[in-house]
Amino acid sequence: MLDLFHLVLQIAVILVAARLVGFLFQKIHQPQVMGEMVAGILLGPSLLGWLAPGVSAALFPPASLSYLNALSQVGLVVFMFVVGLALNPSDLQGYGHAAVLTSHVSIAAPFCLGGLTALYLYPRLSDDGVTFTGFALFMGAAMSITAFPVLARILSERGLVRSRMGTLAIACAAVDDVTGWCILAYIVVLVRVTHAARPAWVTIAGSIAYVLIMLFVVRRMLPAFEREFRKRDHLSDNLVAVIVVLVLVSALATEWLGVHLLFGAFLMGAIMPKAPEFTRYLLHKFESVTVVLLLPLFFAYTGLRTRIGVGGGREIWFYSAIVIVVAITGKLGGSMYAARLAGMPWREAASLGILMNTRGLMELVILNIGLDIGVISPAMFAIMVLMALVTTFMTTPLLEWVYPARLFKAQMDHVHKNVA
Amino acid sequence: MAAYLLLVGVPVLGLLGILEAGRGIRAPLSVGGEWAVEAEGGPPRQLAWTISQSGPQATITLHDGTGTKLDARIDGATLTAGSPGGAVAARIAGRVEGRRMEGEITLPGCAPVAFHAVRQAAKKEGA
Repeated sequence: MLDLFHLVLQIAVILVAARLVGFLFQKIHQPQVMGEMVAGILLGPSLLGWLAPGVSAALFPPASLSYLNALSQVGLVVFMFVVGLALNPSDLQGYGHAAVLTSHVSIAAPFCLGGLTALYLYPRLSDDGVTFTGFALFMGAAMSITAFPVLARILSERGLVRSRMGTLAIACAAVDDVTGWCILAYIVVLVRVTHAARPAWVTIAGSIAYVLIMLFVVRRMLPAFEREFRKRDHLSDNLVAVIVVLVLVSALATEWLGVHLLFGAFLMGAIMPKAPEFTRYLLHKFESVTVVLLLPLFFAYTGLRTRIGVGGGREIWFYSAIVIVVAITGKLGGSMYAARLAGMPWREAASLGILMNTRGLMELVILNIGLDIGVISPAMFAIMVLMALVTTFMTTPLLEWVYPARLFKAQMDHVHKNVA
Repeated sequence: MAAYLLLVGVPVLGLLGILEAGRGIRAPLSVGGEWAVEAEGGPPRQLAWTISQSGPQATITLHDGTGTKLDARIDGATLTAGSPGGAVAARIAGRVEGRRMEGEITLPGCAPVAFHAVRQAAKKEGA
């Protein structure tokens, strides 16, 4: 039975912890979301459960976690819609050679290195209920993801959005996001069809039919929302509710097909009209509740499943070090080298690599899917969460070191003077 | 073009090679999930436990009202578990075959008893 007292108490504690740690992280020039992710980990067995097991058990009894999970999943569905909404195909146009090379290398290099790491980690952290192919592909996908929303926020905070490096980073991250989600959808289908009662052809044919319907039928109907917005300068509550229902139906369709709820929500956002005012309006409508209320619940739920340093012995730290080094080498190194080959100066190429290495929240989303479908073990999950935290945390200080804000400002001033 | 082939084509081919090489690697036996346990001999006693597995290491949570946790290790088809830190409170030694497990369990204050267990559902959720 639903224990409302516990649920409301949990939400209150999570929100306070998220805002507090987020505030502290902002003080050290980290994005707020980084602090919220850490707050989630601190509330789990890695800290609270370790320091005060009694308090942790009283605050988060296992039976109550399903409600917290349900709320966080609803939040993720809306969040993935927002991520898809913010994705603009025009970001990808006009960057030619450099964007194509950098984005493809930033996927291929970490993907390959992730697969290589899987050769070592599969017998140590997995079991024979998972095929090597599923494990290796998941490792590759998880290594190659870039947190598009966090990256965009860092660029915006540093005033780099309109720089060549900033626009290229956004273009590459957009390609990475779409590619990463397509690969992940394939892995989920691969893992789920092995255990599912539904024949594989239903999932595959159904997924193709679903994508075609979304692209050629639903997408043509969506500009009606934009026209209505232009007429009245806002959307009525009823129309916003219709958009929410469309997101939920799309999410349910992909879940029913055996892919995952989140793919449907993401695709719905991706095919929405992209007029800037309309997108901004919808982002404003959906973002605040999701970012302030529901995402911290997801971080806390992730933290409650993460046991960093609890059990497993010293070898877990060794595996963590391997995963972190491989993740950084593949993503940062691969993107940087490709950008340099495409003609970018070293400083900008290195900055691009650092930005592409930001995994943040998108990594946590993918890891939770991996744990849910059983393709990664709890220890592997904890290691990858640690990798996500490290790669996200290092972005801002490393970027400041390689491409200081004062240097960028001086260069921009120089460009503006020459133009004038 | 040459840079693209080198930086994208080579990793893709490498990945294909890795997937092929990985087919021969064996991972530890899967034991994760919910197990329904029945003690043998004496009056029928029902017990249940959940195994959370990461490679050869696992944690067994007994559904005994107190949520006792045991550290376990899987070696081939054999599972051995004891209280964390080596404290002698509870012990399990079992042999796994498919979805079934047989062995001996020693609970605090009780004599060792034989048991057989059946895995309830496919491994899912590591929470």
